[in-house]
Amino acid sequence: MSAPRHTKFYLDRQNRKWLGVCAGLADYTGMDVTLVRIGVVVLTLMGGFPWTLIAYWITAWMASDKPAELADETPEQAKFWRGVRTSPKRTVRDVRSRFRDMNRRLADIEAYYTSSNSRLAREIEQLR
Amino acid sequence: MEDILLPIIIVGMLFVGLPWVILHHITRWKSQATLTAEDENLLDELHELARRLDERLCTIERIMTAENPNWRSVACDPASIGIEDITARPERIGK
Repeated sequence: MSAPRHTKFYLDRQNRKWLGVCAGLADYTGMDVTLVRIGVVVLTLMGGFPWTLIAYWITAWMASDKPAELADETPEQAKFWRGVRTSPKRTVRDVRSRFRDMNRRLADIEAYYTSSNSRLAREIEQLR
Repeated sequence: MEDILLPIIIVGMLFVGLPWVILHHITRWKSQATLTAEDENLLDELHELARRLDERLCTIERIMTAENPNWRSVACDPASIGIEDITARPERIGK
């Protein structure tokens, strides 16, 4: 088994009601757990009777438990990885735009210090 | 004629069409699976780096704002430097 992946679907045993599929799905997509459960129950009652159960079992059988390393991530990290799961491209673009923004801010600071240095030099020149 | 043709069509759809569609979507989904473990680690590192750099920049900006509240306008607008000089000089000489 390789290192735990952030972009994989895991069962969420900590918040489970039955086998942890709904909680895992909620954790994976960022939706509310209760909403996911209600959706599954409604889908089952609306005529998907055996199929939702079969899908639930297959998911519970195929997916593994959430590793302990991933359980203790901060809300900010959880949000970031949720974004990666839904759209990796957009997340990469976000990170790039953050770096660009920092570059711009750093350029402002640099401009201030270089200009203030020249201003200081001019003032000293005028005092002579 | 129809009695023979209909089962053939249905069996053909069931045993050829359905697996075809499913396999087609599975292969497309597999080729779309984007992030490798390496990509993920790289992205994790970049995100962490961006966060730390952001914090450092915020600290520096805060210090600069404490020193000189309008440093931004001085840095952004070179034309205002001359005006800045006039206002800044008397008080500096006065000290």
